[in-house]
Amino acid sequence: MTAAALDARDAGMRAWRALLLLMLALSSIGPMALLALWSVSGAWFFPALLPRTVTLVSWRSALGDHALVSALGTSIVLALGTALIGCAVGIPFGRLLARLPGWRRHVAAAAAFLPVAAPPLALGTGLQVAALSVGLGGTLPGVLLAHLVPAVGYLSLLFLGTFTLLDARPEEAARTLGASPWQVWWRVTLPQLRRPIVEAAAIGFLISWTQFALTLVVGAGAVRTLPLEVFANLRAGEDSAAAAGALLLILPPAVALATLRWAARRTAVLPA
Amino acid sequence: MSRDRPVAAHSATGRRHEWGGLLAAAVLAAPVLIGLGYAFGASVGLVGAGGGGRASFTRVARVLGERAMWTGLLWTLWVAAAATALAAVGAVLVAVVFRGTARTDRAARALAALPLPIPHLVAGALGVWLLGQSGVAARLAFALGLIARPAEMPALVYDRLGAGLVLTLAWKEMAFLGVVATALLATSGAAAEEAARTLGASPWETFRRVTWPLLWRGLAPAVVAVFVFVAGNYEVAALLAPSDPLALPLLVVERATDPDLVRRGDAYVASVLLLAVAGAAVAVHEWARARWEPLAP
Repeated sequence: MTAAALDARDAGMRAWRALLLLMLALSSIGPMALLALWSVSGAWFFPALLPRTVTLVSWRSALGDHALVSALGTSIVLALGTALIGCAVGIPFGRLLARLPGWRRHVAAAAAFLPVAAPPLALGTGLQVAALSVGLGGTLPGVLLAHLVPAVGYLSLLFLGTFTLLDARPEEAARTLGASPWQVWWRVTLPQLRRPIVEAAAIGFLISWTQFALTLVVGAGAVRTLPLEVFANLRAGEDSAAAAGALLLILPPAVALATLRWAARRTAVLPA
Repeated sequence: MSRDRPVAAHSATGRRHEWGGLLAAAVLAAPVLIGLGYAFGASVGLVGAGGGGRASFTRVARVLGERAMWTGLLWTLWVAAAATALAAVGAVLVAVVFRGTARTDRAARALAALPLPIPHLVAGALGVWLLGQSGVAARLAFALGLIARPAEMPALVYDRLGAGLVLTLAWKEMAFLGVVATALLATSGAAAEEAARTLGASPWETFRRVTWPLLWRGLAPAVVAVFVFVAGNYEVAALLAPSDPLALPLLVVERATDPDLVRRGDAYVASVLLLAVAGAAVAVHEWARARWEPLAP
């Protein structure tokens, strides 16, 4: 190929890349901007491209709205509970699964995968009856248990991976030097697990935070979380209230993702 | 004798750990198996409302004989397949075109990952606001003089084809698949590609013979996960899907909340069908993996 032809090809490639980049920017930033705009818009009807008035009414009423604020509280309690209990169960489960030999480990991993892969709605219809029969249907503990089902499955798989890769020699050395099991766990194992635990807690939090179908079915409408409240606002045509709730809904996942990426870049495991 | 003792003690702990591991696996699988068992039981009238304590397949036969159940299933499969395919194509495109280390490459990858933290419910809301007949797309079309009234905008939301639902889900899932594809190329691509180039392969041959097989084999589990997730999703379909044909997840909730108590049990049959879709997708993937694994680099 001549130099001119190569130059032409490079220019063509650059134009393609620029076009793709523009499309990505539009499709990624556009919807977020729209969401922010909708949450501060007054009346905004077809065919206006931009809202006529900008107002904080929907934010003020969202933050003063008892239903939304209590839904926010319920969501936070559920997500924190799922993160905490999910880790407390996921860590020992992951470790036990990692110690299984051969094919038994594959079977166990498949078992942990079941609650992760099962559609929440299908899972919920079964769990709802179980929850009802023990008096937990439509209660906060019942919904927490339901959220824990996929979360514990996911976190057990995550810690299965962690413990499979974890170097066992420091623990053995500590035991040889006479450390008690408790000391080994507290002084040797746990410090090595700091980053996976932070990741797992974030994932557990998000599994509960964005959960919809399980809350709907097991909570039977009595347990109102933020996603349910936003959905109700959308259905009622309360667009700016829904947009304000949706922004609140995005906030924790965005912070969690930014933190994880920042941590990953610091240790340079994932490409930025 | 004394030399045997540590070994014996070790294997005893080993066995205890093994039982612990199997117990943990049983606890993890239990909610799904109990749920599935209950759904089966309720489907055949063994348990739950209207259950007479004796198995009868009349409900299963009646529900599976309904046209709505099968059109709902097919429609859900179509939406999940189309959205997953679109998302995968977009993800591969972004990962391959922007795999370099230049500032544009990094910016493009960051932009593509931006929708990652957006919950599906919010993606659904954005779909309504963007693609609805009085949404932003319609307003742009009006501003450009393409349409005069919202009704002239082609229906992308609540439409029989599910175009708005497919686009919304593809947009949301492309971020996840893009991150996976980018990580795959960054961790495992370079050495094999360099070898191919050194051996005289053209850029296109290198892509076709090295990069592409690496990418799609690595991406397959994530693609299956996305398909299963999208097929079972309720909230996005509830916001964007038509009422006829009724998507399978919507059908489950519709029946579960039916004023007619007898029809409520139909939800269990539908949710077993939903689980079967997920199970089939995972099974197909495992089968394909077993076939292709020997060929993997």
